[in-house]
This record gives sequence, structure tokens and C-alpha cells, in this order.
Amino acid sequence: MHHRSLDPQLLFLLFVNAAVVVAAMVLTGPEFTSAYNFQSMASQVPELGLLALGVMLAMISGNGGIDLSGIALANLAGIVGYQIAVATVDPSVAPLSYILVFSCGALLIGVIGGAINGALIGYAGVTSIIATLGTQLFFTGVAVGLTGGSAQMLGYIPMFDSFGNVPVMGIPLTFALFIIIALAVAAMLKFTKFGTHLFLMGSNAKAAYFAGIPVRSVLFRTFFLSGILASVAGIVIAARTSSVKWDYGTSYVLAAILIAVMAGVRPQGGYGRVVCVVLSASALQLLSSLFNFMALSNFFRDFAWGVLLLMFLAFSRFDYRTWLPMRRPS
Amino acid sequence: MLRRSTILAGAAAVFAAGIASPALAQDEQEIVTVVKVAGESWFIRMEEGVQQFGEDHEGVTARQVGPGRADAAQQTAMIQDLVAQNVDAIAIVPMDPSALEGVLRRAQQRGITVVTHEADNLQNTQVDMEAFDNKEFGAHFAEQIAECMGGEGKFTSFVGSLGSLTHVQWADGGAEYMEANHPDIELVSPKNESFNDANNAYEAAREILRAHPDIKGFQGGSAIDVIGIGRAVEEAGLEDETCVYGLGLPQDSGQYLESGAVDGIAFWDPKDAGYVMNILAKMLLDGEEITDGMDLGVPGYENVAVSQGPGEGIIVRGQAWVDVDASNWKDYPF
Repeated sequence: MHHRSLDPQLLFLLFVNAAVVVAAMVLTGPEFTSAYNFQSMASQVPELGLLALGVMLAMISGNGGIDLSGIALANLAGIVGYQIAVATVDPSVAPLSYILVFSCGALLIGVIGGAINGALIGYAGVTSIIATLGTQLFFTGVAVGLTGGSAQMLGYIPMFDSFGNVPVMGIPLTFALFIIIALAVAAMLKFTKFGTHLFLMGSNAKAAYFAGIPVRSVLFRTFFLSGILASVAGIVIAARTSSVKWDYGTSYVLAAILIAVMAGVRPQGGYGRVVCVVLSASALQLLSSLFNFMALSNFFRDFAWGVLLLMFLAFSRFDYRTWLPMRRPS
Repeated sequence: MLRRSTILAGAAAVFAAGIASPALAQDEQEIVTVVKVAGESWFIRMEEGVQQFGEDHEGVTARQVGPGRADAAQQTAMIQDLVAQNVDAIAIVPMDPSALEGVLRRAQQRGITVVTHEADNLQNTQVDMEAFDNKEFGAHFAEQIAECMGGEGKFTSFVGSLGSLTHVQWADGGAEYMEANHPDIELVSPKNESFNDANNAYEAAREILRAHPDIKGFQGGSAIDVIGIGRAVEEAGLEDETCVYGLGLPQDSGQYLESGAVDGIAFWDPKDAGYVMNILAKMLLDGEEITDGMDLGVPGYENVAVSQGPGEGIIVRGQAWVDVDASNWKDYPF
């Protein structure tokens, strides 16, 4: 087996996932391990997971790369998609085209928002934390301006609601979508020139520049992709809640970063694995649901997340291989 | 590496198989109240009502939960977990009613009883409980403000957020009352958002006092708005020139009521609201019918008005507001 595919971070994440499930079996009733609950938890992962993938890409790009505008862009994408769809299609007559117009509108906003972020960071050279903080406020402002601050009701469209809430062959469709997108991102990072360039740039931007890698264009595409991922999150949110609103998921900004860091994505850039982000997101979801099942306070959950993050950071700094008695060449 | 991971996985599997999940034999009805945010005085008081209900009723487990941060996404996630847990009934004070339609539809499909509070626009609920008619409540503040202002001058309104439906209804109810009854009262920069934060309310009130030095009336929205407004009014030394009324909690607003910076507050007792939500949930669980004019045995809910909601459910309204000013705030221990 390839050495990289069994790195300690991945093992540790697998262990945490398994440990939480085992703990849940001990600490709560049989409901936790029911198929219904696993479906329920799986359907909660995608919105945050997609945003975390975006943050991961930004972090890999190096130079303190971060994308704070994800959830704001997701909400704006949902809102604009809704306004375009409601103005052009009657959902009771043509639900499928309503959903398609909505999704295309949302994706379009993801493209535009991602391009704005990409242009600011890649071509104008603005530090990503400043640029995306600015665009976060900008996207939120536009979203409030368009809606007057109130929630936009998509209405009950059975087809769309089923996409968001009803599992097919035991698997929630939004979760399947998330996994497909995660696989696509992983493949892109591994097999395309863009992926290689991104990792090289993240490791050493100056060396990458002198090696002839189009640094600006790579940065642009990174944040562009992150924007598109955010708009997909916006579509998933709309499907799950049948509504869009500017302040949905304000706590996701930090949660997405937490997931990325726990997944071992290096904040200095140059390293990050998609499979770890997915496992990190699922670990957080399992833990969060477990605490809800145990009726523990949400403040305790925040505390536990903090402890877990510190554990992960400590773990990633600790190279246990130097402590093993026998070191075989791998 | 490989061997290590195999051992790990094996150990986990053995561990998992060896432990039978403790199946709790529970015939008790479990009613869970989900509030907007945990740890706020309003919802701490509500929890007293929820716990009281649990103590008063044998065979019922009543508890209250809420997200650590006021975010509709976190509340939705919490409710989804409760649905997966298969509790008997959920009583919800939604952060954003529209965001819950999907998860509540699923809850009802799963046979879970759903009761809500402060969400008369929600479709997927069986009973929505309102302490009173929201427009009337807003008009009630406006009436007091108008009388205090002597029927003329400028007034403004606050809301927790523009997304908080009830707050907006109070502000609108107040504005409509003024327009209909007091043509000399002018509404300026209405519906300032405090985001349920006294500091934001204070900043917004200061800005308004700068922009309109002659302003006389303030109508608060969220329970902490009057605190922020009161602080700004006190700093400006305008206690006697201004009329501040709004939703508030007696102990939180007491010092401003004493100084006259806040002239009066009204509220519905969240303890009673929590208690009544649980009564309604239990009635639904027991298959009892809720009818117009019913006495639920809690002050302010002795003669409830029942009307059809926007969905299949009903709306139950009480007349449960309590007026409090400098003379009687000490009577309330919260």
C-alpha cells in the first residue's frame, strides 16, 4: 500500500470517528446507531463539508490563505438563485425547471463571487484574509439589500425537498453529491497540472514563481473554485431548509476552518488531503450529534471541539515513529 | 503501519460488538423544548417553566436545550438530532421559522409531535402558541409612548433583527397605531436592528440621538433593546424628555426603570410560555382536542383563542402580557 495513503493524520481521524461511534453505543440508546440517525447525520455534513473543502483549497495555496466569505457567498447564491427562479418559472407548473433555474442562478453567483475573490487575491495581490473578510461583508450586504433581511421561502417543492431530505437507497442525495464533489476535488489535486502547481505554490511561492508556475492564475483558480463550492453549499442549504436567508449558518465560518485544520491541512500551505477533510467533518458531526443525544449543553460541544483541535495539533507535531523500537524502511 | 491500523480497527470492532447498547425501558413521554439560544436570561426563565412542568406531571420527562450561538443552522441541526433520537414531542422557539419547515415536516412524518412558539407563519407545526396577538402588543407599546409624548414629536422602533418576525410585527403594529391615532407623531428611522445585543442597541440609540436630538419616543423590540436604549438615554441626560417602552425583563431593566431612562416594559412570562408549550404538547400526545376559549390553567392563558394556522396546524393565542414600571418591577424575580 502506498505510504501516503496511511499517514498518521488519516489513521487518527479514522480512530476518532470509530471512537465516537463506540462511545455513542455505550453512552446513548440504540437510536444513535439506527440507519435513520446515520442518514440524518450524513445529511447534515454536506453544507459544512463543502465550505471546509473551499477553506482547504485556500489554505493549501499558502501565504496564510483562507476563505472567510464561504457561507456569506452560499447564502447570497441561494438568494439570487431564488429571485431569478421565482421571477421566471412557476414552481407549481414546472418544478424541475424551477429547481434547475434556481441551481444555475446560484452557481452563477458562485462563479461571480469566486471570480471576485480570485481577482482580488490572485491579480490585485490582496492578502486573502483581508480580501475575503471584505467580500464576506459585501456578499452579506448585497444579500440583506436584496431581501430586506427576511427569509425567502422557496415553498414546498416535493422534488427539491426530497433531494435535500429523503435518502435514496439508504443514502441522502446531498451526501452523495458531497462525496462526488470531494472525489472530483481529490482527483483534480492529484492528477491535474493545476493540482501540482497549487501544492508547489503553497510550499514555496517564490520558488514556484521562478520555476515558471503561473502563480497569479493558480491563486485565481483556487478562490474561484472555493466560490463555486460555496454556491453548491448554498443549493444544499436551500434544499434542506426550503428557504434562503442571509444569516443562515453564521457559525460555519469558524467551523469550516476548524474542520480544515483538524484534517491536517497545513495553515502555512502546501499540504492537505480531501479524505482527511471529509473524515474531519464526519468526526465533528458524530461528536456534535452524540452530545445532542446525551443532552449536553452546546457550550460543552464548543469546548470539546476546542480540546479536539488542540489534540490534533499536538498529534501532528508529535512524530511517534522516532519512538518506535524498530524502523523498517517503507 | 498497516499492522498497527489493522489492530486498531480490530480492537474497535471487538469493543463495539462486545457492548450491548443499554436499551432504556422508557414508557415516559419525552418532551424537549428547543430555544433560540442557551444561556440567555429569557430562556433561562423559560427553562424554569419547562422543569416545573416536568415536576408537576408524572410520566413526563421535560427538558430544554438550545444552541450555544444564535444561528438558525445550529438550531436546525439540534432538532434534526432530536428527530433521529425519536423523542415524543418537540416544543420549539424558532430562530428563523422558515429554515425549519423541512426538518419539522420530517419530524411529523416520523410521528413526532411538534409545538412552536413565536412562529405564526410556520406551516409544518401542529400547534403554534402565541402569548398574544403581536400587532396588538406593538400597538399597546405605541399607545403608552403616545400618551407619554403628549401626542406629538418623533419616535423610532427597534427590532432584534429584521428576520425576527414577531419583532417586526410589534414595530409595524406600533407604527400603524401611531399613524391611525396620532398624526402629529412622526416615525423616524424605524426598525433599528440590535441583533439581540445590548451594546448594539446602545450604539444604535446613540446614533439616533445624534441624528435626531429632539426624538422623544423609543419602542424596543428584543428583550435587551430597552437596556441599550436606556443606557444611551441616561448618558445623554434625557431621562425626562424621552419615553422608552418595549419588551424587557424586570430584573435586567430595573435600574433603568428606577432612573426613568426606561419608562415602562411589558413582557410575557417566558416561564409560563415554556409551561404552556409543554401543556399543549402533552395534550397532543394524549390525543386531547384544543378548543377555542379553553382554560389551560396558567394566568393569561385562561381563555385562549384558537385559529387556523397557515398550514394544517392551529394557532393558540393567550392574553398574557404583563405591564411593568418603576413601581412594580421588584415583584418579578427574573
